[in-house]
Amino acid sequence: MSVSMFLLLAVVGMAFDLGRVYIARNEAQIFADAASITAAKQLDGTAAGLDRARAAVSALPNRWNLGTEDFSGVVIEFSADGKQWEAEPKDLKALRYARVTAPDNHVTIMFLRAVGGPPSFTVPARAVASTNPVRLTE
Amino acid sequence: MRRGRIGERGHAMLELAISAGVMVSCLVGTFQFGYTFYAYNQLVTAVGNGARYAAQRTYRSGSENVERGNEAIRNMVVYGDSQPAPDATPVVPKLTPAEVEVRWDLAGDGTPLNVNVAIKGYTTDAIFRSFTFDGRPSVQFPYVGNYANGGREQ
Repeated sequence: MSVSMFLLLAVVGMAFDLGRVYIARNEAQIFADAASITAAKQLDGTAAGLDRARAAVSALPNRWNLGTEDFSGVVIEFSADGKQWEAEPKDLKALRYARVTAPDNHVTIMFLRAVGGPPSFTVPARAVASTNPVRLTE
Repeated sequence: MRRGRIGERGHAMLELAISAGVMVSCLVGTFQFGYTFYAYNQLVTAVGNGARYAAQRTYRSGSENVERGNEAIRNMVVYGDSQPAPDATPVVPKLTPAEVEVRWDLAGDGTPLNVNVAIKGYTTDAIFRSFTFDGRPSVQFPYVGNYANGGREQ
């Protein structure tokens, strides 16, 4: 009986918990794509452009966890060459890339934890977009 | 002695009936949620692809052009192709372009700022139960394509 209960919980957990994890991963990646393009679109070599980029990413309505939760802890960084990234860059005129990371997407595990799984599963996402033309590069 | 064996058999039958009921209910529930999550995941991907496509295609002003463009975006969501073949199959069963909503945020001069793509009123049939998605999944992308004032949408 306990063996079959264990197997049953494992099967239910695979369908329910992993299903939600895959959806969350997909939602997070789409958000990161949209947010990086949003930020790159605002860059114009000025400090006001940086502020607009941050504000536009915060205002993005895309949500996760079956479309019920806002993204939190979103990190926005900028770069001139796509290698060195800074949240507060100095040389604003040289900026060509915006990178957005959504690191805090913790999916609560409900069934798999009963058979030894973790209490939550984190599905971070990251995307990079270039300016002029504004396009996703990563 | 004989009566005892019959009694044991009766207990076993009762146990089987109870545990089979629990097992079948769990498996039916697992199937329902598993299939619904699969369908939702397909819709998230489709809506994301449609919004990304919409954000990069040329936007031509004029209500006819906009509606023609929206039709191509809906097709991209449903079939993964802006001009699908007549026998194209949707990304999830029975999804139609009419169940995809495309909404544009426009600036004062009519140039597009953002595009929102969402699923409206699609019902997924998980055999034992159906679930309706209305307004979810929904994705917004900033518009980064070329704006054309007038002309004709292809």
